[in-house]
Parts: sequence; structure tokens; C-alpha cells
Amino acid sequence: MPQPDVRSTSTGLGRVLVATYAVFALAATARSAVQLLTRASEAPLAYSLSGVAAVVYVLATLGLAEVGPRPRTMAWAAVVFELVGVLTVGTLTVLDPELFPDATVWSAYGQGYGYLPLVLPFLGIGWLVHTRDRE
Amino acid sequence: MIEPLQTALIVGALVLALVTGVYVALDRSPDRVLIALLGVLELGLLVQAVAGIAQLIGGSNDPGITFVGYLLAVLVVLPLGLLWSLGERSRGATAVLIVALLTVAFLVLRLVQIHAAA
Repeated sequence: MPQPDVRSTSTGLGRVLVATYAVFALAATARSAVQLLTRASEAPLAYSLSGVAAVVYVLATLGLAEVGPRPRTMAWAAVVFELVGVLTVGTLTVLDPELFPDATVWSAYGQGYGYLPLVLPFLGIGWLVHTRDRE
Repeated sequence: MIEPLQTALIVGALVLALVTGVYVALDRSPDRVLIALLGVLELGLLVQAVAGIAQLIGGSNDPGITFVGYLLAVLVVLPLGLLWSLGERSRGATAVLIVALLTVAFLVLRLVQIHAAA
């Protein structure tokens, strides 16, 4: 098989990364939709945060899949936001478990999702660096 | 909920993930055999969705919107994964199917848990 274009973020190994991000985009969107539709008043902060996480995963998926006018910029913004988000929310929830009454994707560094939410932004950033145009 | 079907679906998805892993190791793209096996698994998921929703309408205990969401969400994973996988011929593209299959196994497992909790 021919080697895919190394500068594209959506070919080769990038396809697996996009697929993984898509799973999280789907999961986080569905989770926040259910939370916001059925019990928004119970934990507004946690549920809004779930919504933000969902948007970030969707943008990261689209960016890495090279959809839209400036996909690489969008992918960078999304994965950096994702990293800051998972580190901030993870640290806060570990220090003070009472802060968010209900779980989000990023609670305890994504413990509920096998810590994949913590690993994913590093893979995303690593992949964006790896596929960078070196001219 | 028909428990043997869920067990079969989870085992089937995991076995197919392993088989796909062999394809990736051998640098082979998905062939008709693999795609047909994915079709069989998808058929099983469809049966699960119909049976699950029929049971809800039948008015046994009501696990609600999350349960139906999982029943339907698990249906789109394999078709979307296959489309994304067939868009390119490479190891990475074939490995997309492993992600899709593991997701299916995880979603069916969550379905069983949600049903048990209700």
C-alpha cells in the first residue's frame, strides 16, 4: 500500500485518531444532551461543562478530519483547550469531589472513561506536531 | 432484555476486533469476508434495538431515554466506522474498524448495566 501524505492529519494513523475523537464527540454530545434535557437544574455547572467538552470534541474531530476552512488551526485550538480542560477539571475534582455533584467526561482526569480523555489531547498534540509542514 | 444476545454481541465484537487486528498486522485491507462479518454483527445490533424497544412499548420497567439512546447510537457506529475506514487503503484506515468494534462492545456492555440498574 502507498504511504499516505505525511502532512495530512486525517490519513494513516490519523484516521484512527479521528475515529477515536469521533467516538468521544458522540459520547460527550449524547451525555450532555441527556443531562441538559432531563435534569439541567440539578447541577448546572457540571452539565454546562459537559456541553463545552462535547463542543471541543466535535471541533477536534472535524479539525483533525480536515473539514472546514482552517482545520489545523481549529484542531490545535480544540486539543489545547481539551488538555487545559481535562487538567483543570481533573485537578479540581480530585481536590474537591463535592465541587461537581454529577460527573463530566473530565472528572478525575477522565477516570470514568479509562483515562482516555487525559491521554487523547497528548495524542492529538503529538499528531499535529508530527504532521506539521516543515518548510 | 435478551441476555444471551448481549453476550453474543459483546463476544462477537471483541473477536472481530481481534480478527481486524490480524488484518492490520498483515497490512491487509478489509475484504468481503470481514465486511460480511461486520454485517452479521450489525444485524444482531438491529435485532437488539427492535427487541429492546418492543420491550419498552410492552411496558415492562422503564429505563427511559438513556436506554433508547444507547440502543440507537450503537447502530450507527459500525456503518460510520466502515465508511471512514474504506475511505483510504492503509493500516490506520483498517485499524479504524478496531475502534468501532471496541466502541460497540463497550456500548452493549453499558446497555446491560443500564438495564440491570433500572
